[in-house]
Amino acid sequence: MVKQTYLHDKHVKLGAKMVDFAGWHMPVQYSSIIEEHKTVREAVGLFDVSHMGEVFISGKDATAFLNKIVPQDIEKLDYEKAVYCQLPNANGGLIDDLIIYKLGIEYYLVICNASRIDEDLNWIVRNKRGMNVKIDNQSHNYSLLAIQGSRAIDLMKKMGYDIEGQKSFTIKPAVIEGIKLLASRTGYTGEDGFELLVENEYSEFLWDKILEKGEEFGIKPIGLGARDTLRLEAALHLYGNDLDETTTPIEAGLSWSVPKDKKADYNGKDVILNQVANGVDKKLVGLVMLDRNIARHGYDVYFKGEKAGHITSGCVSPSTGKNIALAYVKNLKEICTGAVVQVMIREKLHDAQIVKRPFVEKRNRVG
Amino acid sequence: MSFTDEILCTKSHEYILKEAGGKYIIGLTDYAIEQLGDIVFLELPEVGDEFSKGDTFANIESVKAASDIYMPVSGKIAEVNSALVDTPESLNEDCFENGWLVKIDSNTAEEEMSDLLSYSDYKKELE
Repeated sequence: MVKQTYLHDKHVKLGAKMVDFAGWHMPVQYSSIIEEHKTVREAVGLFDVSHMGEVFISGKDATAFLNKIVPQDIEKLDYEKAVYCQLPNANGGLIDDLIIYKLGIEYYLVICNASRIDEDLNWIVRNKRGMNVKIDNQSHNYSLLAIQGSRAIDLMKKMGYDIEGQKSFTIKPAVIEGIKLLASRTGYTGEDGFELLVENEYSEFLWDKILEKGEEFGIKPIGLGARDTLRLEAALHLYGNDLDETTTPIEAGLSWSVPKDKKADYNGKDVILNQVANGVDKKLVGLVMLDRNIARHGYDVYFKGEKAGHITSGCVSPSTGKNIALAYVKNLKEICTGAVVQVMIREKLHDAQIVKRPFVEKRNRVG
Repeated sequence: MSFTDEILCTKSHEYILKEAGGKYIIGLTDYAIEQLGDIVFLELPEVGDEFSKGDTFANIESVKAASDIYMPVSGKIAEVNSALVDTPESLNEDCFENGWLVKIDSNTAEEEMSDLLSYSDYKKELE
């Protein structure tokens, strides 16, 4: 049975093209992916991302428990701060990637991928044995609305929200348009913006209010299609494409999210720290195609006539007009920024150059 | 008579139309373009290439996905709409008069077209 968010009827009425995504009937586009993409970069967009999972974790051992399941050091996470993490298995492979928010003393919110919530919960419950932890999956009770774009902050101010003192990667309880919610200065587009976690019954009212107040800033509803091109330009990983149980955070280029001095033990720590010390066999790189062809998920990558890896994500980049991709390649010295590799597209090799990520400068690290 | 009154369509969303000069024009239907969304890439065959009915003769990509385009009948490529390769996005505006993909010579087209649908029947099938 395909699930619907509380905003499903809004999307249909807006004329969205609906698709099944991770078990949810979701809007992939309302008008055009390219147009929606540009709206976020140049103005502001509203996303329904209520399919994402929300799990509250509390209890005497909540901090110690989270510290056991992610590489980030949750002991060091301050009140109202958010941190990007992964959920490794015993081999360092990734079950999911997450954002953990500290809401209070031994009280956390975990936001995870819709496609992985069952696997995550299964893993989390297996890991809590003997610990005083309450796992409360509230995914079915909450909607998540994302306001993202260069005018996002203007819109939040217009709705009466005082953003002073709320930096990137923080979360605060707030009242917006009379609705109690949690306002997080995070997103998945490379733009500044907020994600608003609200009880389902208020989501339609909030959706309408945001569109109404956002009109003067050029707001549009944005589908999952543009969400994907926006995140890829910002080189943000997509679980299932760029991350899975065969990739570690180090291979995925996420070393920055793996503290080297964390004392607590966590799943996969040996493998992950061994890779930090001794290197990896494969690495994630950014590619720009040198002709008009588009690299897609699963295509093979060649270097000097030999297979050297595969594409994990690829699309046209509406902001740059180039065709961009992420790929895992052999960790060889010569396969470095500036090097030219080939992508096998419909049985022909097409040149692509390795470039630094992100493909488009991120504007979300504010404050 | 409008363009769509004269075309025949496949279930895989190609159309074909016989020109006055005897060549056959092949393209993709408006429904196919609409389903694909923003068109960003088009690869067409070369003049002289020969294909059988059902062969992949061209490739089209939107922001989201890559798709094959199949020959509605057998034939030899006589002309390609090469301007479209540089501006594939124009297919989102017009996939008929200016948005045809190739013209072919075919001796077998008439009998091979017997299982194709008129545009109005094709539209009914989609409902």
